[in-house]
Amino acid sequence: MKRTFPLLALAALALTLTACNQSATPGNTSGGTSGNAASNSATGGGGAPVAITTKSGVAMVYIPAGSFTMGSDQGAPEEAPPHKVSVPAFLMDQVPVTNAMFEKAQLPNPSHWQESPKQPVERVRWRDAKQYCNERSRLEGLKPCYNEKTTEWDCDYTANGYRLPTEAEWEYAARGTSDGPYDFGSKDALRQYAWFAENSEAKTHPVGEKRPNSRGLYDMYGNVSVWCEDVYDPKYYAASPVDDPHGPTSPGKDVKRVLRGGNWKVSADLCRATYRQGERTGNTDACFSTDYCGLRCVRRIKPEELAQLQTAKNKG
Amino acid sequence: MQNSNRLAMRLGANAGLSLVALILMLASAVRGSADPTPLRRNLKALPYKIAWECYVNGNWEICVMNADGSGKVNLTKTPGVNEHYPQISPNGKQIAYSVDTGEGRDAVRSLWVMDIHGKNRHKIADRAREPFWSPDSKTLAYLPQEYAPFNVVDYYTKGMMFYDMAIGKTTPHPNTATLHHLYNPGFSPNGKWIVATVHAGMGYSHTILLIEAHGDRILDLKIPGCRPRLSPDNKHIAWGPEDHELAIAPIDLASDTPAVGTWSLHIKDEKNKIYHINWSPDNRYVAFSRGPDGEGDLTKKGSFQAACEIIGVYAGGWNLYAVSAERTGAIDMQTATEADFAQLTTDGNSNKQPAWFSTRPAGRK
Repeated sequence: MKRTFPLLALAALALTLTACNQSATPGNTSGGTSGNAASNSATGGGGAPVAITTKSGVAMVYIPAGSFTMGSDQGAPEEAPPHKVSVPAFLMDQVPVTNAMFEKAQLPNPSHWQESPKQPVERVRWRDAKQYCNERSRLEGLKPCYNEKTTEWDCDYTANGYRLPTEAEWEYAARGTSDGPYDFGSKDALRQYAWFAENSEAKTHPVGEKRPNSRGLYDMYGNVSVWCEDVYDPKYYAASPVDDPHGPTSPGKDVKRVLRGGNWKVSADLCRATYRQGERTGNTDACFSTDYCGLRCVRRIKPEELAQLQTAKNKG
Repeated sequence: MQNSNRLAMRLGANAGLSLVALILMLASAVRGSADPTPLRRNLKALPYKIAWECYVNGNWEICVMNADGSGKVNLTKTPGVNEHYPQISPNGKQIAYSVDTGEGRDAVRSLWVMDIHGKNRHKIADRAREPFWSPDSKTLAYLPQEYAPFNVVDYYTKGMMFYDMAIGKTTPHPNTATLHHLYNPGFSPNGKWIVATVHAGMGYSHTILLIEAHGDRILDLKIPGCRPRLSPDNKHIAWGPEDHELAIAPIDLASDTPAVGTWSLHIKDEKNKIYHINWSPDNRYVAFSRGPDGEGDLTKKGSFQAACEIIGVYAGGWNLYAVSAERTGAIDMQTATEADFAQLTTDGNSNKQPAWFSTRPAGRK
């Protein structure tokens, strides 16, 4: 009974905020929303997207808890087998971390493209991505998830700060309510949702200029790929637990971490929500890093906290 | 019987020959280990020393040795202080270096100077990186840190400052507002230019620049890689085209628009990283650091995590080497022998950033 009121309040607030979020544009860019709102479903799609703005001014989208079928038997071998996965509720950045956001954390911006502060940061090494997460946590008075004194910057999933998404969280957020490779349906529509090799003119673009997916997330299918927390193992899906998988245990040496989502330099096929790749975490010197690796933060949130954030937003 | 005698004599003769061969081989091996190669003999005869950053008993120090690797001395001997990146003044009298204190983002990297014998140590500035000397040794230039909180990456810099050693006054480079994300800078010996790598700054993705020392011209040398060093005679540039390569090429620094010519020497190592190439005062040799890939070792006190060639990152298995800069063609470190290179350090304790200097009186090389 004690939990009834917050949950009801949350539902009411979510409905209230739907209208204003429909017209919101990410980072003051002219992307708009697709009108392709997710339908309520048992998969956890959960109605129209709910967005909040964090203390440091970052727009995030609420992804409700749910289950989905992760992977595919229609893609590359490492995408199989399709398997059931459940993830708790979390917040995910509405757009990839931009040049401006990265610099706000007083970190050296490694991006190849810096014509616009709204272009996504890229050439980010895995640990630099984690450092950004910790810095943003500190900026907002949250407990950092990453222990910077351990070799692999171990993640405390119980901390309330920002971190990289797990591979399961990323795919759950990317697929929305769809069972297919793109949550908007056909590959033919990809140009409306993503910057990729066919339309990017071989560079990144300011975030939020394309349509969001059904969860209200922009640039999930292109522009830059993003780091995930998980160790990359092409055979992991055969052994993945159902509940909140965090990926395989690190082998300690020559570790690859998961990168997800298409980017400006890849073909449409590699922009699929189920496409997986692993990348070295960045031992090379600055001059040789990749210019398609970006990041997008998540953090776990309880319904009560979401309600508080939304109340604060409405008052503000 | 005759046959058996012949057989016995043959066996005896064979055994005798084998014994002689064995003795000759052993003698040769003993002579080989005792006799230095011509390269090492030449290095030993040089009136030069090499300073570098060494890791001793859980602490970074500035060490000095003879040009052939003999006579190693811990110059700083400060167990509680981490010193890095020694840069010798062209007159051979002073060493500028970095000192790290603190941990994580609270760490502070400071710029210090001491005389060539390790005495008279004093701090020049905090949050100041990658010092480099003017050709007359009167100005110590450095790159201010980009933001106040610490970050280990090498291009974490913004602007450029000149510190006058005589009066202790700091003035900015005339184009300081433009200079961003530079690293590994150095004056051209003719004083006209500053060569440096830029990463993700000033409108460049990554390249090596010539920056006018006292003006606002900037030239892109359009060579791949990083960490350039100009030869003391102004005629060559040495740098790392990538993690596993070093190169030397001519450069026309007297020109109004200097350009890099065809590579004259190409050093490569498929398995190890090779970095931090630097010239001997007579332009005839280069020293560099070499070792396996890595990203720091947090069990080593004072180490940060990043690519192991970066200042402040422990590089396990890294040692210093020297080769002749007068050679042409390629040296493949995987197949080269001691005839091609001289290994100067052997302990593998993060030996990096070699800096040569002359022990002769100023003005003589």
